Amino acid sequence: MTIGKSRTVEAFLKKAAKKRNFQVIVAECAPFYHGQELATSLASAGIETTVITDSAVFAIMSRVNKVIIGTHTVMADGGLKSINGSHTVALAAKYYSVPLIVCTAMFKLSPQYQCSYDQDAYNKFVSPNDVLKYSDGELISKVQVHNPVFDYVPPDLVTLYVSNIGGNAPSYVYRLLSELYHPDDHEL
Amino acid sequence: MDKDGILQLLTETMKNDPSMSVAVAAIQTLIEFIKLDTAETLSGLRANLKEAIDTLMKTDSSVTSIASGSELFLRFITLTALDHSDFEECKAILVKRGKLFLQKVGSSRKKIAKLGHPFIRDGATILIHSRSRAVLQLLKEAAEFKKRFNVFVTESMPDKYGHTMHNELTALGIPTTLILDSAVGYIMEKVDLVLVGAEAVLESGGIVNKIGTFGMALAAKEMNKPFYVVAESFKFHRLFPLNQQDVPDQFKYPWSRLNQSDVDLSKEHPRVDYTPPGYITLLFTDLGVLTPSAVSDELIKIYL
Repeated sequence: MTIGKSRTVEAFLKKAAKKRNFQVIVAECAPFYHGQELATSLASAGIETTVITDSAVFAIMSRVNKVIIGTHTVMADGGLKSINGSHTVALAAKYYSVPLIVCTAMFKLSPQYQCSYDQDAYNKFVSPNDVLKYSDGELISKVQVHNPVFDYVPPDLVTLYVSNIGGNAPSYVYRLLSELYHPDDHEL
Repeated sequence: MDKDGILQLLTETMKNDPSMSVAVAAIQTLIEFIKLDTAETLSGLRANLKEAIDTLMKTDSSVTSIASGSELFLRFITLTALDHSDFEECKAILVKRGKLFLQKVGSSRKKIAKLGHPFIRDGATILIHSRSRAVLQLLKEAAEFKKRFNVFVTESMPDKYGHTMHNELTALGIPTTLILDSAVGYIMEKVDLVLVGAEAVLESGGIVNKIGTFGMALAAKEMNKPFYVVAESFKFHRLFPLNQQDVPDQFKYPWSRLNQSDVDLSKEHPRVDYTPPGYITLLFTDLGVLTPSAVSDELIKIYL
């Protein structure tokens, strides 16, 4: 299973399809719906693909063998800052004991920690038009609409990081960090 | 200098500056000891120092930090070229190294406060345990950055150090509430994060701290609240306990009780407990913000 459209995961799956036979379930990832683009791309490469809504993730998870997702950033504690909906997928995977593999390049490693659950300091919010159309004027004035882009996934939900330097556990991220960043450069 | 002299000097140093940690006072005492020591050779001085450290461990105050602090002090001061023919010159170098170590150690709490205060956000509710000067400094730093937060502190029996912490925080203008030790489970849903100090940080990434810390960590894990530990790097100890029984008795019970011949340890109440690394989210140290798995690497670096 995967969520949204990660170019790393797309390349990974297309390369794997040349040697192995597998099926992919893609969560469409509202309100951007990149998942649908990924599904079209994988299908044109001859991979058996299914598209599901984000709400169906828990229902379908019992049938999944592995979850492979991409990410925007790898945080210093081994957690992820990835597309919204990733935390739900990670929780569902944990519940069904399905391994969560993150395909990412090492340049995405950041020396920052997530300081709190306060989303204003951590997340990026984009136009709520994707969630509720501005043309729905009457409704817009009565409700608050939020459209966060990112999700934080804690390190204990991630099983493995597959990167350009090999496979690593989330608990090893601090070591990779010390190889990539000088301790004086931890303040970005 | 004899044994009583050493202990007297330690108590005097601690009385002069109550905000100083026990380990820092012990290191100052050891520097004075080196100056006054009458040994004629380096190995003689080293043997006398080891004896002095043993004497310092025979106090009722926090023995854990004295143990790790003195070990690191000894390693630091001898990690230099000591091949001068004049022994007095060698001693002078040792004292200079000692003062450098003291300077590094003295500034550690400030570094920690600078690293840790971004984790306290405006409007946060914090739960702390007993009295920790490192935690106090961190909260002071956060308050100076004009953050508004309120604190719950456990009264921490049997010595009731929580009351002292409560008074110190109220004096800083931070709204604080004292709670019973048994109320930790009850209060956990109201707090945003848990902040504790440590008497020792162990090789596994776990900590030894005032009794009650482990229970707090269990409750925090269950309710998904982050559990942060504030500890200076001289508290890193080369120990790897597998359970509560593995923690040495000198850490758990005060020396005066251990020394009594008729004491039955199974009936004694321990003063500290061990919190395994799986319950700790992050450690704020002067070496940086560390995950529990990073602690063993840093520990090896400072002991090598």
